Amino acid sequence: MHLHWDWRLARVVDAEGIIIDESVWDGVRSSGLVADRIEMVRRKRMTPEARDLFERFPEVDFSSINPEIWPPFTSEEMSLLDQASIILARRGLEESAGDVDRRMEHLVHAVEEMRISWTTMESRVVEWVGLFLTGIDLDEQRRNIVTEAAASSSFEDLLQRLETDSPQHSPTNEEWVAIQGASSSAVEMSGRIKDAELAIRTHAESHIPSLSALLGPLLAARMTVAAHGRARLSRLPSSTVQVLGAEKAFFAHLRTGSPPPKHGMIFQHPWISRSPRWVRGKISRLVAGKASIAVRVDEHGGKAWGDEEIAAIERAVQAVRSRHPKPPSKRRR
Amino acid sequence: MADDSGKIGWGVQRRGRGLWTRNAVKGVRLRDENLRRDGRIEWRSWNPRASKLAAALIRTKRDPTLLIPEPGSTALYVGAGHGTTISHLHDHLCGSDNHHGGRIVAVDLSPRCIRDLIRLSGARSGISPVLADARRLDQFAPFVPERVPWILQDVSQAGQVDLMIRICERFLAPSGVALLSLKAASERWSDGGDEAKFTQAEERLTSSNLQLNERIDLRGFEDQHVMFVIRAD
Repeated sequence: MHLHWDWRLARVVDAEGIIIDESVWDGVRSSGLVADRIEMVRRKRMTPEARDLFERFPEVDFSSINPEIWPPFTSEEMSLLDQASIILARRGLEESAGDVDRRMEHLVHAVEEMRISWTTMESRVVEWVGLFLTGIDLDEQRRNIVTEAAASSSFEDLLQRLETDSPQHSPTNEEWVAIQGASSSAVEMSGRIKDAELAIRTHAESHIPSLSALLGPLLAARMTVAAHGRARLSRLPSSTVQVLGAEKAFFAHLRTGSPPPKHGMIFQHPWISRSPRWVRGKISRLVAGKASIAVRVDEHGGKAWGDEEIAAIERAVQAVRSRHPKPPSKRRR
Repeated sequence: MADDSGKIGWGVQRRGRGLWTRNAVKGVRLRDENLRRDGRIEWRSWNPRASKLAAALIRTKRDPTLLIPEPGSTALYVGAGHGTTISHLHDHLCGSDNHHGGRIVAVDLSPRCIRDLIRLSGARSGISPVLADARRLDQFAPFVPERVPWILQDVSQAGQVDLMIRICERFLAPSGVALLSLKAASERWSDGGDEAKFTQAEERLTSSNLQLNERIDLRGFEDQHVMFVIRAD
């Protein structure tokens, strides 16, 4: 015997297809209630009618799939169904903002874009100010120039702040306003980057705590976004995690047989970028493996990793480094 | 190109090289398509570069009438997108104020697309937007209570062919038509390139219980795409 139900009714049907019992929803039908009931059916939950029949026939098998013989829909029911679809679509749309992956995606991409414009603005201001102030060291003073130019009230004020002599040519007043404006934008932009990064941090530390402990919250968030969400990152093989962000090199490898990339964005982790060249591939493989485990722990509600687990991994990384203190000989093979 | 002017269906017309649908919401354009008045009827141009269904109607070597559903019937559209094709389908299937009584069940996974479809359904009654993963048939099955005579699947993700077979087995009515818009770039990498993928897909479809009617190459309108026309036996 099988129990079938949709939002309108439930039936117990035997193996020959004969209806043993039936329970029909006889309440007032509104599109909102229909939507609630369809949601129950979609989640494979029992409607009150199905539950009613189940209590009478506890030995039935379940099947929510409508059999071929099922009461046809009246036009009134069809129109309720159409209204309910819009209600459910709206609910789903509203729920999508609760998805932390989608929110991190905007944050991570916003930071990427702001960084790109910040670097261009910053280098423009440095060169621009440097054109007039021939006496200052553009490398040593680099960080100062932008903040001081943003804080200065006039060009003379900037000269004092940077402790340099009056140059042969000074910018016109209008030119100075433009320089000062560009510097303030650069300073403001770096503040906005910090704000967004702070937001990424808080999301990452609750959404992907283990991965954040291992890679740092910013890198962990970036990798999650690159993989299109935590769920998908947790399903990727660690060999893919290792080369996330190096797609160009990876597909060039498949096409032309060039050497495969050893690391993608995971390279930003200091264990890899601060290690000698010849062990980076080995360490990135190790860290990628641990990162896959970490994100699976987070995805499936495991206990988040703490200092202890991270320290153990760091020891393994150290061991790889000390096993290969010198670059391999080039005369192999 | 030969001039195939003429009616393709109640609300679809071919004029020279262009396709037009009978605008169900007069004066309103979805993108920036052209409108053309013809007495009391307003025709809205259907861009084959923006809609794979339109491209298939132009490219098919058989009767294009067979590729579109009857006005007043129910259509299942899986991978509905932002609603460009849906709007033209609605012109034909439902007409203004849905006087044909047609239904279009528009399934998409993306909340961004569903948002556009909800808006579209407000102006065009007969469209039911469903936010669901196409691979989980139970998620949208409640909105398709009866088998339907016309299905279009355009999900652009791996495993499109197997998904199509499952959808047809469950939802396609006897002698119904199903269109599969296959994107080569979404399928897994394989030797032999796109052509091999299309041939593989063709073999999978022929070995199922479905009948493959035609394979329409959409190159020129939509690269790396093929439209398969399937019929239920």
